[in-house]
Amino acid sequence: MERTERPLRADEATSLRGFLDYHRDTFKMKCSGLTQVQLAQPLPPSDMTLGGMMKHLAVVDQSWLEDDFLGRGLMPPFDTVDWEADRDWEWHTAKDDTPEELFALFDEGVRRSNAVLDGALKPGGVGLDGLSAQEARDGRGRFSLRWILLHLIEEYARHNGHADLIRESIDGTTGM
Amino acid sequence: MTTTVTFDPDSRVDPPLQGDEVSVLRGFLDYQRDTFRWKCSGLTQQQLAQAHGPSDMTLGGMMKHLAVVESGWFEETFLGQDQMPPFDTVDWDADRDWEWHTAKDDSPEELRALFDEAVRRADAIVDEAAAGDAGLGSLSVRADRREQTPFSLRWIIVHMIEEYARHNGHADLIREAIDGQTGE
Repeated sequence: MERTERPLRADEATSLRGFLDYHRDTFKMKCSGLTQVQLAQPLPPSDMTLGGMMKHLAVVDQSWLEDDFLGRGLMPPFDTVDWEADRDWEWHTAKDDTPEELFALFDEGVRRSNAVLDGALKPGGVGLDGLSAQEARDGRGRFSLRWILLHLIEEYARHNGHADLIRESIDGTTGM
Repeated sequence: MTTTVTFDPDSRVDPPLQGDEVSVLRGFLDYQRDTFRWKCSGLTQQQLAQAHGPSDMTLGGMMKHLAVVESGWFEETFLGQDQMPPFDTVDWDADRDWEWHTAKDDSPEELRALFDEAVRRADAIVDEAAAGDAGLGSLSVRADRREQTPFSLRWIIVHMIEEYARHNGHADLIREAIDGQTGE
């Protein structure tokens, strides 16, 4: 696949979206070409898997933009999950999903998030200083869109670091 | 060798939820740097040289690598100066991963001092450039090798955030394998 490049000299919003897309694409490359069994294979002692991470990043990406920022709630199937019963539901259930199902869910989360970003960052939109509908649980107030985008970049990049080591342990693939 | 250097994760400062571009970017960068200090905290020289196979990365190598990355981006690429010692006199042609390979010979104190010095120098450069007229749009003296065009300071800082975050992901798994410590 062709990975989005990070623009060397762009305005703030274009730069942040470029970096975010670069990491979303990098993550998909880390998961590509693997079977359902390989996507469920951890690198102990950690119990993280690439399939679990894909389902996790789908809900993380979508929830920051559609739920936290716009206040619209989680997308299916996350909206009907009993999170009290298992707060790591997405990590635990990914092994039952096919690679196609996991990629489709991931792409849907990204598609929804991008639609929110398009609306907020278009001319006349709220822009990067726009504030989230939901407040931070620790009482620090609302999140700016600037903060959310940077947090998503660090979230993806950190998980891509996990994915580097997990993928290398599965089939020796490194780089990207 | 049982000497260690520690870092309290509670001393990390959360990036501001609302703020201008410079303060939010720098807040995220500082948070990632401190997270990395914490991931290396309390480990001996031997533990810092321990890999989590099949990868051959180590936390000590990573600390020395991130020091050269800081100096490389801010002092060398952005300002057009030499890298800081000892990186300025290394024969990189002989070993392009010199910092990863030699970290095992350094004590935890030496590694942390080198890292802190690189961060200190980088921060001084950002302080001055961000206060200038061009701000985050300031361009690097040295160009990108492929595109032959300069980098904006904005690009360099966001890149540093992703560079740290990705290495902190590696560090999460390596640290858990060393002594079971986990956490964001």
